Amino acid sequence: MSHHYVKFDHVSYTYPNGFKALDDVSLLITHGEKVAVIGANGAGKSTLMLHTNGLLTASEGRVVIGDIPVTRKTLPQIRRTVGLVFQNPDDQLFMPTVADDVAFGPINMKLPDDEVERRVTMALKAVGAYELKDRPGYQLSGGQKRSAAIATVLSMEPDILVMDEPSSNLDPHARRLLIRQIEEFSHTCIITTHDLAMVRELCPRTIVMAVGRIAADGPTADILADTALLDRASLL
Amino acid sequence: MESQYSHCPATGMQAFAYAIRRIRPTAGNQSPAQSVLVKILTIDIQLDDMHMADALVSPAVAGVAGAVAVGLLAVAAKKVKSDMSDNMVPLMGVMGAFIFAAQMINFTIPGTGSSGHIVGGILLGAVLGPWAAFLTLTSVLVVQCLIFADGGLMALGCNIINMAALSTLVAYPLIYKPIAGHGDRSWRITAGAVTASVISLELGALCVTAETEMSGVTALPWKEFLTLMCSIHLFIGLGEGLATAAVLYFVKSYKPDLLAANRAAGTASANSSYKKAAWIFMGTAMLLGLLFTWIASSYPDGLEWSIASIIGDADLPTVKGAVQDALGGVQASTSVLPDYGSTWSGVIGCAIVVTMVWILAGLLVRRKTAVKKL
Amino acid sequence: MTAIERALYELNEIDGYAAGQSFMHSLDPRSKALVTTLYIIAVLSFRLDSLSGILFMWIFPILFSALGGISYNRVFLKSLYVLPLILFIGMFNPVMNREPMLQAGSITVSRGWVEFISIVLRGLLAVQASLILVMTTGFQKICYGLERIGMPAIFTTQLLMVYRYLSVLLQEAASMDNARRSRGYGKRSYSPRLWGIFIGQLLIRTVARAERIHRAMLSRGFDGTVALRTRLHWTMTDTLFLIISTALFTATRLTDFSYLFNMIISRQ
Repeated sequence: MSHHYVKFDHVSYTYPNGFKALDDVSLLITHGEKVAVIGANGAGKSTLMLHTNGLLTASEGRVVIGDIPVTRKTLPQIRRTVGLVFQNPDDQLFMPTVADDVAFGPINMKLPDDEVERRVTMALKAVGAYELKDRPGYQLSGGQKRSAAIATVLSMEPDILVMDEPSSNLDPHARRLLIRQIEEFSHTCIITTHDLAMVRELCPRTIVMAVGRIAADGPTADILADTALLDRASLL
Repeated sequence: MESQYSHCPATGMQAFAYAIRRIRPTAGNQSPAQSVLVKILTIDIQLDDMHMADALVSPAVAGVAGAVAVGLLAVAAKKVKSDMSDNMVPLMGVMGAFIFAAQMINFTIPGTGSSGHIVGGILLGAVLGPWAAFLTLTSVLVVQCLIFADGGLMALGCNIINMAALSTLVAYPLIYKPIAGHGDRSWRITAGAVTASVISLELGALCVTAETEMSGVTALPWKEFLTLMCSIHLFIGLGEGLATAAVLYFVKSYKPDLLAANRAAGTASANSSYKKAAWIFMGTAMLLGLLFTWIASSYPDGLEWSIASIIGDADLPTVKGAVQDALGGVQASTSVLPDYGSTWSGVIGCAIVVTMVWILAGLLVRRKTAVKKL
Repeated sequence: MTAIERALYELNEIDGYAAGQSFMHSLDPRSKALVTTLYIIAVLSFRLDSLSGILFMWIFPILFSALGGISYNRVFLKSLYVLPLILFIGMFNPVMNREPMLQAGSITVSRGWVEFISIVLRGLLAVQASLILVMTTGFQKICYGLERIGMPAIFTTQLLMVYRYLSVLLQEAASMDNARRSRGYGKRSYSPRLWGIFIGQLLIRTVARAERIHRAMLSRGFDGTVALRTRLHWTMTDTLFLIISTALFTATRLTDFSYLFNMIISRQ
């Protein structure tokens, strides 16, 4: 399945209020890679992330997932392929119980009931949250919420996982568990974060963003050693 | 809890007691004894403004109001579904929770030194449009009823009409919108919000009075009740209007695109069709109300009457009392000063049974301890 | 505790009770809701001056909370919140209706006082019934039940969403309110203008949250309808529960307790 790559081809995006969040971004992430996207607040990380899933469509240039360009028509396929884990689990766990949340994607994919159940069980077990399935989302701890949020995406069996600030608001223990979980995934992972220590542990490759552009793209060790670069990107 | 006891003089106590449900003069320095006394005298009512309670409605009134409310809900669901974009689902959801939270934060009502809170119908209308606002406010009332015991299950229909329908389906589109227009001038927003709030609360007060009196539970004469309710809600409406205007003004200056009037500029036709529907529903509600009053006055006790007609003349000892009552006229001979001993024995007998069951159940549950506290 | 903190506490408490296990918990929400409604109708249908019947109806909340494994004392205490309003409205009956109604020795009770007690009782009992319903069922399951009996899906979804985000929004409002109070020099409430700014900010944050939730929905294939996995099972037990409860309510409603207890007394 080596064709599951993420390709940005000279992508620019301007918000309706005139703010140019992405400015001629080109990148290629291939199957199985774990890539970190780092950058200061407002550097365009989240905008980039929303493009991978077609929640925003490029003003200029194009985004291609696998062989499929992201357009209005291909959205169902794109959303099946790319799973997005948002920064705040409270925004992602909107259903009455965790199991309902995890089933939300598969039900929308019109899967048969027993397949939905199988995927709910699979996804919750994958993040070690199976015993939480009948609990309402708001009752969970920060770490549990994060696991449940990841499960809501895993149940759609995506090939590519995109995570926005997965380690934010987690206590050290929950953060450690999360890192172990992500290590086990065989998916292509794109992780936007400020947590440079996590980047060092998880991602062999790092992309640095500054003011809507890609400031650097290379092996994590090299990039994190380049203090001048990090300073310019307001990461120090 | 913050102490919210009134200082009003003992003479005006009873009249003010209802008012403090909404207006709670914020306490200055009171001795504990003083505040306890004031609390007892004024019956410090912590609940919301106009929530009717189950105890104050008869099944017939509850039924009619419930039917009207369900009808409105069905129409609203259809309307919202047909002309909404799918981002309304989460928006209505969190706006419901927002209004609930906003209702818990008090503001000072100008000139009175008292504090109150909003119901939020006009505010919701301005953000979501009338039908979605109606659904949202109704959902808040359901949560308040079930989780926080604000107003009861039977009174829910009344509460939906009094608090949700009148503000979102009548006052917002017929009063706020014409006055405020597209909400580009702040004085128009203020005028619209205040007028619409006052009118919706006055209409609500009118409905509360009508529903209570029709239920025949209270002995409070309707004229006094209505005067009291309307004068109190004039102030509350003023407060709600000003507070609503302040929020709308803030939103207009920072995020004007949030307001429904700015989003949906071209929905004039939808608006007029919905006006028609609003009038039809108000008409139906009034008709049903009148019909009910007529039935109620012709058959003083509707339910007993219907039970009697089902059971007929059966002379079972257990149903004897009910049938006697129902057959009319006999009522006086059984309950009003009939035979003191017999009535007392019923009350005392039942009281003993209840006490025994309570104690027994208490012992049982303590053994079981099935409660799983989180 | 502020009002918001109390609301959060009560939300949590209800969820805690609803997570329990008991006979009542195992019933279908629809049968429980129906029985609750019938019970309240029965209580409200008593004539204002028939005290013994309403008193007898009191055993049902006690029985049902025992069957639900929840402490009736807690239910009773929670139901007292409705008392002020009921007391206020009921207060006028003793004032207006002064003709004597019950007499035992030298104590005479007027019709108004009998009605007053009756109003208070029916208020408490009605609220206790719905509290027991929600404490043994949980808000979510009540919504599933509503959907199954034909409530529009858009409304049940709305109810579930409000319930889901209630604690989130309450916490947000509480922290904003705390921040205000910590700088408020003891002022308890806001001027309308300040209130408008405060609530306006909360509103803007709320709408932003709605947008984020919408994105989270879209990214998982949301197409306008929220489908629930239905999982209600009406069993024989539900039918029996409904029939037996209805029979008991009807019997209580129709029994003349004065007559009944007089017969018991006279036989001894």
